[in-house]
Amino acid sequence: MKGVKLHVRVLAIVLMLIGAASTAWQIFALNIPVSADTEEPVWVIDTRISFTARPKNPIKVQMYLPPSWSKFITLDESFVARNYGVNIDDLEHNRTAVWSARRADGQQQLFYRLMLTQRSNTRFTNEEPGPQFRESPDLQGVEKVAVEALLKPIREHSADIETFIREAIKLINNTDNDNARLLLRNDYSQINKSRVLELLLSSAHIPVEQVHTVRLASGVSQSPELWMRSYNGQRWLYFNPETGSFGMPKDRIVWWTGSEPMVKVDGGHHLKVEINSTQQTVNSITLAQSIQEARDGNSWALSMYSLPLQSQQTFEIILMIPIGVMLILVLRNIIGIETLGTFTPVLIGLAFRETQVLWGIIMFSSISALGLGLRSYLEHLHLQLLSRLSVVLTFVVIVMALISVLGHQLGLDRGLSIALFPMVILTMSIERLSIVWEERGGLHSMKVGFGTLVAATLSHLMMSYSPWIYFVFTFPGILLVFMAFMLALGHYRGYRFSELLRFKALIKDGN
Amino acid sequence: MSLFSTWRELRQKGIMGINERNADFVLRYNQRHLYPLVDDKILTKKKAIDNGIHVPPMYGIVDSEKQIGNFRQLIQDHRDFVIKPAQGAGGDGIMVIADQFEGYYRTTGGRLISAEDIEFHLSGVLSGIYSLGGHRDRALIEYRVIPDPIFSAISFEGVPDIRIIVLKGYPVLAMLRLPTRQSGGKANLHQGAIGVGVDLATGITLDGTWLNKKIQTHPDTTNPVRGVQLPYWEGFMSLATRCYELTGLGYIGVDMVLDKDLGPLMLELNARPGLNIQIANDTGLAARCRQVEAEIERLEQKGIKRAAASKRQKFCQTRFANPECAALAAQRAEEARLLEEQERKQREAEMPIVDAGVKVQVKTPPDGKG
Repeated sequence: MKGVKLHVRVLAIVLMLIGAASTAWQIFALNIPVSADTEEPVWVIDTRISFTARPKNPIKVQMYLPPSWSKFITLDESFVARNYGVNIDDLEHNRTAVWSARRADGQQQLFYRLMLTQRSNTRFTNEEPGPQFRESPDLQGVEKVAVEALLKPIREHSADIETFIREAIKLINNTDNDNARLLLRNDYSQINKSRVLELLLSSAHIPVEQVHTVRLASGVSQSPELWMRSYNGQRWLYFNPETGSFGMPKDRIVWWTGSEPMVKVDGGHHLKVEINSTQQTVNSITLAQSIQEARDGNSWALSMYSLPLQSQQTFEIILMIPIGVMLILVLRNIIGIETLGTFTPVLIGLAFRETQVLWGIIMFSSISALGLGLRSYLEHLHLQLLSRLSVVLTFVVIVMALISVLGHQLGLDRGLSIALFPMVILTMSIERLSIVWEERGGLHSMKVGFGTLVAATLSHLMMSYSPWIYFVFTFPGILLVFMAFMLALGHYRGYRFSELLRFKALIKDGN
Repeated sequence: MSLFSTWRELRQKGIMGINERNADFVLRYNQRHLYPLVDDKILTKKKAIDNGIHVPPMYGIVDSEKQIGNFRQLIQDHRDFVIKPAQGAGGDGIMVIADQFEGYYRTTGGRLISAEDIEFHLSGVLSGIYSLGGHRDRALIEYRVIPDPIFSAISFEGVPDIRIIVLKGYPVLAMLRLPTRQSGGKANLHQGAIGVGVDLATGITLDGTWLNKKIQTHPDTTNPVRGVQLPYWEGFMSLATRCYELTGLGYIGVDMVLDKDLGPLMLELNARPGLNIQIANDTGLAARCRQVEAEIERLEQKGIKRAAASKRQKFCQTRFANPECAALAAQRAEEARLLEEQERKQREAEMPIVDAGVKVQVKTPPDGKG
């Protein structure tokens, strides 16, 4: 006996740990939301490429796409273009899409839509290392002198790559500096500045790279902003050649790296690129689902959601049954409420889904009362059990049909929902109730019937409480925790609450 | 009183709850495959007869439609008899025939019914309308128990019975169940019969319980239930004790009756005896069971696998004796001795003998309908 107790205890603890661990893994490691109501922002970036095609020429459009190492998780991307084929290529640091068509005429429009979450992409933060050394370019004459003159104060004022870059940007942006002006040839445009910055840094053997970024902001049409980055041996340093500010702001996404333009068109002209971003809110669980899909693998994490929709709806109900069962267990073994059958209240509670609680109770009570009347009449006829049950069941069906017809004519559509009331369960309830009535009297059977209704109502309320439905459906591991609880209750030896009242007489006299 | 302190006090008294009974006793000591033995009254009876346990004599079994017509042959030597469904529960489907009259049968209620009515009842029993699962059943025709009139003072009508809870062959708690007007003559506590605790050592009744309350008098007759000496008590105890060997079930309630002619008879066994017996005795069942379990363990360490029935009975009667009852019994024995002495003296004085009038030990002649 002791061995069994220990066995149960160990089993319960193991089940609970597995269940809790799987739930915790889903919540904390996979960031699956605990509640169905949480919403999160997602960004939708629409890129529109328009150009005029040269007639009778094959067309090839190459566009850079945000790379896979982006810190944002891509939920969805789509390419829309009529009569074009699309290919996506992974380059070293970039990704490109190539639209191609044999021939096209007139104004062409290509769309690229990207959906991103702002959730940090913890899985992809391992950055690829970049180059750390670079051959200095071969400079001639004045330029060489100017570069060397600029590098000298920068070297003196800097300690590492970061500060070096800062100093360099400061000097280039300084319009009073003659050396800088000479290198820039008086052209203070952004592209030119970054070219000179690259020249300066490469002369100091510091490799830099241009990165083109897009801001996640609602409602404004924008063009990619130029940033630069350099690898310092541990991480990429991002900086703005214009302002000299360091570190990529949180609302910027890297689109591509390198000095090439975003879109190149062969066989077309009048190229125009428009980028628009908008913010939307998306239900967190939908989001988590999309992320799962995007990551592929890990298909167990949201296993229930991968079922066909119809099965999902069924399982939303089925997975709640253990909660109802657990409630019955508590009501019967700890509180001591008497119910008909063991799990009959759960089944009646399920039937309440269709009828709503109040109607369900009214209908259950009235049909049971009528059925009991019939049953007691049949008692006199000395029928065999099976034919008696069949008669009662048919009677129940007739009463249900009558209620539906009557309800419909009175304009109460609630009456129709009763059709889904489980007839067999009702019949068995009537049979059991009448046995209880005969064996233990009317008062007791009322008590049992009332207990059944209370248990059915409670279990219905618990089984249809939507936050719980969501939770159980999303984290089915919790069922193992329930199982552990049920196992533990199997060895519960304490008094039922009702027994404390039942045996009260024993105490009054004892004192 | 807070629920928590109620809980604690019940635990201190060793009161057994349903959860404890089911898990620690019924599930633990009663193996499922032995249940049919107690659920089927015919099997119980056959087994009891084989083991020399007194039961109401069986007149016959009706187990097929064909045999229904032959039932008259089964009862041809008897004026009164009882028809029971073998697997009936709660006293359902029991038909008691007290007398016969010109080919008709008179029930205890005084109604006259025909042989066809009985045949119809038998076919109902066979089809299983009284058995719990609704499956086919057999009918048992047996001797009609006529309760010993000792109970007439504290009982209303019907047949009072004695329930003894037996754990591993140790009788731990006893109760006398008396039908009331409310229970309709049935000795079933749920239906309103009263239960009266009985001292294991002497067979003297204690206080009673009625609908979970404690009572001192019978609600119908208003006679006090306490202090009545049950006759043949040792016989009841030994009968109950030996029922363990009969079934192998470790935790049973043995239901017995006292027939005015045949003495203590075992009626049926119950594998899930109720807990109200604790209120009747004002004693915790768990506390007593634990003492018995300790005794079994002690004997096992000494190498005794199963103690003899008489030893088990003796153990319980000494361990669970009620001192008040013992004093009462001693006083009554003393009174009886004095009375006897007085009688002897009277006899010696060659005086004519009159009825001694010792209420508890004398059987009054049966008066037919009880």
